[in-house]
Amino acid sequence: MEDVGFGDLRFGEPVDTYGGAPGEANARTFGVHGYPFTAVKPG
Amino acid sequence: MSQSEDGLVEVDALRAAVQEHYAEVAHDPVGGDFHFHTGRAATERLGYPDELLEHLADACIEAFAGVANPFAWGLPRHGERVVDIGSGGGLDSMVAARAVGPDGFVVGVDMTPAMLERARRNARAAGIDNIEFREGLAEALPVEDGWADLVVSNGVLNLVPDKVAAYGEIIRALRPGGRIQIADVCVEVEVPRDARADIDLWKG
Repeated sequence: MEDVGFGDLRFGEPVDTYGGAPGEANARTFGVHGYPFTAVKPG
Repeated sequence: MSQSEDGLVEVDALRAAVQEHYAEVAHDPVGGDFHFHTGRAATERLGYPDELLEHLADACIEAFAGVANPFAWGLPRHGERVVDIGSGGGLDSMVAARAVGPDGFVVGVDMTPAMLERARRNARAAGIDNIEFREGLAEALPVEDGWADLVVSNGVLNLVPDKVAAYGEIIRALRPGGRIQIADVCVEVEVPRDARADIDLWKG
């Protein structure tokens, strides 16, 4: 993202997106979590 | 035929598989066999506050298939112009449309016709008119240069074969000083080459 010009990249807290869903086993295998993140196009 | 950035997946085949999968979500979000949560089970798990959704009918929420909450960074501001990449059934677009109010506008972009139809139907039913759903790809956004104050997306960019192109398009569509609020999945364990070539896992 920084390569294309974004700055001030910030990540929020992870969420257990696939917990209790049929895809949970694959998610656990690869350590998959959902994240909200934000960044800014420099002015 | 073009390949994904790592050369392991043929781009058109991946897009066709993703379209087919999310058309199933659009047509039968409650009874379908998906490996992810949909609808209210997903919004509750991902931390969407009830007050964000209370103005939306169940039909607007059923096909939601996000992976986190892009509004964890705050709602769009009154009067802002917002692009929602991979707008699906339109839930995040409609949350944004309500937040920006009549002086703002939201463009939802999706490549799956069945999702576009569902989102347009949901917006009409909800009486939301500061919103438009357009067919398009993350790598070629149907939005003019510098139009958007904010770009949101939820669980979509991980499915895009050329992520550098997609982020380049987002930069193009944003005004200087504009921002992104994206929800997506991150992988903490290195994915083996054979798994990266498995389109079923890409869809996941």
